[in-house]
Amino acid sequence: MKKRISLAMAAVMASSALAVSAPVMAEENVTITIFNSKMEIQTVLEEKAAEYAAEKGVGVEVYYSNDTVAAHMGTRYASNDPYTLSMVDAKDIYSLGPDHAIDMSDQDWVKDTVHAIEVDGKVLGFPVCVEARGIIYNKDAIEAITGTEFVPTDYATLDAFKGLLDELVAGGMTTPVGIMKEDWSLAGHFLPEVYEEQEDVDAFITSLHEGTADLINNAKFNAKMDTFDVLMANNYAKDYAIAAERNVTEQMLAEGQIAFMFGGNWDWSVINQYDYSENMGMMPVPQNTEDGTNAKLEGGGSKYFFIDSSDNTSDAQRQAAKDFLNWLVYDEAGQSFVVNDCALVPAFSNNTLEVSDPLGQSVKAYSDAGNLIPNYNYLPDDHYSRCGASFQKYLAGQIDRAGFAAEIEAYWASTTPVEH
Amino acid sequence: MKRNTMSYKIQQYVMFAGPATLLFLAVVVVPLIYGLYLTFTSWDGVSTQRPFMGAANYIAAFKDAAFWQALGRTFIYSAIAVVMVNVVAFFLAYLVTSGIKGQNFFRAGFFIPNLIGGIVLGYVWQFVFNRAITAIGRSLSISSLSIPWLSTPNGAMACLIIVSVWQYAGYMMLIYVAGFMSVSKSLMEAAQIDGCTKAQATWNVTIPLMRSSFVQCLFLSITRCFMVYDVNLSLTKGEPFGSSVMAAMHVYNQAFTYRNYGTGQAEALILFLVCAIVGVTQVYIGKKGEVEA
Repeated sequence: MKKRISLAMAAVMASSALAVSAPVMAEENVTITIFNSKMEIQTVLEEKAAEYAAEKGVGVEVYYSNDTVAAHMGTRYASNDPYTLSMVDAKDIYSLGPDHAIDMSDQDWVKDTVHAIEVDGKVLGFPVCVEARGIIYNKDAIEAITGTEFVPTDYATLDAFKGLLDELVAGGMTTPVGIMKEDWSLAGHFLPEVYEEQEDVDAFITSLHEGTADLINNAKFNAKMDTFDVLMANNYAKDYAIAAERNVTEQMLAEGQIAFMFGGNWDWSVINQYDYSENMGMMPVPQNTEDGTNAKLEGGGSKYFFIDSSDNTSDAQRQAAKDFLNWLVYDEAGQSFVVNDCALVPAFSNNTLEVSDPLGQSVKAYSDAGNLIPNYNYLPDDHYSRCGASFQKYLAGQIDRAGFAAEIEAYWASTTPVEH
Repeated sequence: MKRNTMSYKIQQYVMFAGPATLLFLAVVVVPLIYGLYLTFTSWDGVSTQRPFMGAANYIAAFKDAAFWQALGRTFIYSAIAVVMVNVVAFFLAYLVTSGIKGQNFFRAGFFIPNLIGGIVLGYVWQFVFNRAITAIGRSLSISSLSIPWLSTPNGAMACLIIVSVWQYAGYMMLIYVAGFMSVSKSLMEAAQIDGCTKAQATWNVTIPLMRSSFVQCLFLSITRCFMVYDVNLSLTKGEPFGSSVMAAMHVYNQAFTYRNYGTGQAEALILFLVCAIVGVTQVYIGKKGEVEA
């Protein structure tokens, strides 16, 4: 008897240890999995996916992860469990695409966008939206002090911008600027502008790799850092710049306690959590230059879908994924979903719906006028964190501009070029 | 039924220890060996190719100055945190076994921080350090308090240590409490009859008998401090300017964020060895001098 009980116990233990859920494969119902890496649209994407699923008769499951995109993709591919449709950053398309994405060159939407990513002649990345970087301003807060209408294009040069800041300070807004100290903002968004505004970006990056760039004597680097110095001098968190919290900064900007912050239209998802001012927008980073870069925002396509090419995904799933992408581009409900529900700036020219948020409107205006300086998508994976650490030292006053330039040069000398 | 045949022994083993062995193999041994294999490849974490590299990853790991800095930082952090955790835990245990009023309530209270996950705890303390303390500092015009500690490298380290002590002291306290309870009252009384003061009796009788508690607590706190990741992530995220990146976080970044999976794995192995050597040495020395009443 005892033996039987112990056998039974052992059997239970063994079965619980070994229990593997057998996948139930339905023949008719295709289910696709979507990985979303834009946290702010997760809820609405889930809702719309459910509606879409009910309407089209395919299963749609939406997932999100707090991990970095590359790390999360890594775990999914390592466990042979990829998503049908994955939303990743541009650089991930270049690194993952050739191995894991299908060619979408034959899709109709290719002709309606300039933002799709092509690798070796194959279209691998479907652009989700357009995003751009620049200075976010609070027009109401500025006009409340100056008393005259704020026209962003009047302040394209640093001298003019500085004059305005001084006016704001004199008018009672003692610290009109907020700076995000996050490494992705400093070295993922601000520093790359130094590269992107060079006349020949690839040649400049090559010279950085080879150690011949001489950053400290580079006109563009100095122009950008002059602007950054002005921002730093007017930072509301000047004494503790490195501990400023993003939420606090964005709240102050939204409520008009500060007037300017370097950021992008994705910041709207934070700003709209607060009691924001009516009139806000984005303008190019002011700069004393005559090359015209101070009249343009920096950006382009942001977040890309790719469809998995491995054996873990069936052809039916791939077709369902393609249908979903077409729905986003050509169906009225899909277009409205992108623009109205997600508050994104569409990457497709046939989508003419009015963008709902003010930052997105600015981006759309610059984009439609062809005034976007393209992103440089081939930065090494550790660029933002390593250079970000150096930039934070600069922000905290631990190193001067020459020291900062030297650290950036040392970083580039230590990395291998990203092939593209 | 013969009980000394090989088949009987195997049968018994499979029946009782089989499931555990299987699980152990599946989640510890196999990944360890597979990880070891990956250290010899230049896999980036997602590619289908895993080119063989030989010892290149180990050379890269030894050349990776940031890794050794992170490891050195982890040593300093662990040394201070382990001492403080154990000192605080011991005194808490002493207090809550000394018969003060409501001692069970205090035991539960000191233990609660350990029940909060490290990630949540990090965010809670970030609020305390960045907002609460600075608000107090500003209203009392104390300049050293009005600037967030997390904004300086030493301050961030101090914050990490404070939070770790707060988190682990309660847990270690429980082990010390058990140690105190296991020492028979009669020994204490005997010592006092022989003329010891209470402090002398504690020092010369109770503490030597609690040696196994110290060994356990030190081992647990050392290994936990060496492998700290969650609090590190949510409290400082390695900032300011990468000055609070601990070894585990560096390994994670190397493997997943910078996509040098092989190098990260090699560094993880080095971290594991360092941690194992420190832990085993400590247990060996600690056990050697254990006494029994």
